[in-house]
Amino acid sequence: MESQPIPFFVRFRNIGVLVVLIVLVAGAALLTPQNTFIQEANLKTLLALGPEFGIIALGVGVLMVSGEFDLSVGSQLALGSLIFISLAGAGINIYIAALLTCLLGVGIGLLHGLVVVKARIVSFIATLGFMLTWRGLTEILTAGKVRSYEFVQHETFVQIFTGRVGDVVPSQVIWFVLFAIVLYFVLHRGRFGNWIYATGDNAQAARAMAIDTHLVKIVCFMIVGFLCAFSAILQTTRTSAVTTHAGTGWELQAVAAAVVGGTSLRGGRGSMIGVFLGALVIMVIDNMIVQARLPYEWSYAAFGVVILAAALLDLGIEKQIQRAAV
Amino acid sequence: MEGSAQVPANDEEELFDTGSLPCVSERAAAEEAAPTNGQVLLKMVNIHKWFGRVHALRGVNFTVHRGEVVGLCGDNGAGKSTLIKVASGYHTADEGQIFFEGREVKLRSPKDARALGIETVYQEQALCPHLSIARNIFMGREPTTLLGLIDQRTMNKESMEALASMGLRLRSPHALVSALSGGQRQGVAIARAIHFKAKLVILDEPTIALSVKEVREVLDFVRHLRDQGVAVVFITHTLHHVFSVADRIVVLAHGCNLVDVRTKDTDVDELSDIIARGTLGDAVPTTQHAR
Repeated sequence: MESQPIPFFVRFRNIGVLVVLIVLVAGAALLTPQNTFIQEANLKTLLALGPEFGIIALGVGVLMVSGEFDLSVGSQLALGSLIFISLAGAGINIYIAALLTCLLGVGIGLLHGLVVVKARIVSFIATLGFMLTWRGLTEILTAGKVRSYEFVQHETFVQIFTGRVGDVVPSQVIWFVLFAIVLYFVLHRGRFGNWIYATGDNAQAARAMAIDTHLVKIVCFMIVGFLCAFSAILQTTRTSAVTTHAGTGWELQAVAAAVVGGTSLRGGRGSMIGVFLGALVIMVIDNMIVQARLPYEWSYAAFGVVILAAALLDLGIEKQIQRAAV
Repeated sequence: MEGSAQVPANDEEELFDTGSLPCVSERAAAEEAAPTNGQVLLKMVNIHKWFGRVHALRGVNFTVHRGEVVGLCGDNGAGKSTLIKVASGYHTADEGQIFFEGREVKLRSPKDARALGIETVYQEQALCPHLSIARNIFMGREPTTLLGLIDQRTMNKESMEALASMGLRLRSPHALVSALSGGQRQGVAIARAIHFKAKLVILDEPTIALSVKEVREVLDFVRHLRDQGVAVVFITHTLHHVFSVADRIVVLAHGCNLVDVRTKDTDVDELSDIIARGTLGDAVPTTQHAR
């Protein structure tokens, strides 16, 4: 009556992602013209800009473990930026403006969650609708123009969100790591995390054990909404402006980050360390394409290939699990 | 029947006569066989359930005694699953009474049933394949440390103890359920039920799609449960499986009680004949009224 060992690829999945990341970084360092990738200026840019995407990807990973998708994260980012800059521009205390923006993000997540679990619309479709809705709303409200605001007047605020710690590490990196740590505890060490996994893995079994799977999914959508709003604050503070194109394409990049990090497209599987590393992989690829001076269209093809490769690998792992079960 | 004194006396004849009499031809058979031991644990009286215009349960009576293994049999559509879903709180009965440990109870949700000590193990739907054994056993009831984090150590230790109490020795509480055999999965689901002090475990088709060896494991689990004083309702299509462990067998047909008989008073051929025909005909088990 011995149980089978956990398949190799499943147990060491995170190490696999880490290897991919190291290979990518080494490749980028060697292959970009004049090795610009590893030069200080670029690394600083990467570490300041990357977390804006990475923070959102962390939330998307958690949501995917619960078995749902949110394709509207890019649009939520744009809308959140607009809200934040409008509130700040209206003369509201900057911290209160940030708080209200985050609350609105949570509210948007609540709406997404309710539509998905109560109206029973598949999240892929429901959030596709919201992706267009929020983006369209942002365009309408800005009339397509760039809105700007001088954040420099709030020195401490700017320092907290976009400053540098010890004059070296961008604050954004600290936030990214901080959220990853918090979500690690939520997902892997808390009761709620076990409910997220159970909901994504076998919702029927979870319900039979009195887990409110609807509530679990709604909260996961709210986590995503909050992180999108937070990222919007980081980005707006850094650029002092909001453009309606902010975050375009991030919805699929975030899914790619989660899948590269070992999150199952069917829910119930994934880890915070994996999603964190997966987000770094996507950040590096994105930066690499810019540094290699390739036209930006290349990134679409690159992420397409990355998603397909990761999904295929995921399929292989699932098969291995099944085989081990026999 | 000394042990059943706590249960309010129900004159079953009267109950049947006051309502509609959909199960009239089987009324004689609906009377219970003598209890095989002990007190009445669960008593369901005159249970009716409609799904739209379908009258799925038409006045079923069902009793389980402490520490007893009851086989619940019948053809597809006989009402077996509906009956146990009423007993486990998934469906509420449209009519009828449920008594547990002598007190009348209302089961409005699976939570209510679980609070009483009724645990239901559904084939395949019970576990999360990509979660570990320990996390499955404690799913929804995870113990936490002072900091509010999951107490993995307690979970691991108690999982292994619960499994060992069923005679199931698995290498590690961290193993994923997907890596277990069908029989072992049933064992994990049952271990979960007994760890949380179930008094009655309902097994819904626990041997379906299992190999011969795995069936034997599951039947052993059932014996372990009985040895620990836990009552078991064992739903199955396969009479041979239930015959080797059940003390008593209840057969439903078309939403009515058809047979309620002690295993030792009948045999597989007689019962399968009755189930196939859906009526008693001449084959009434002769000793069913022994009291």
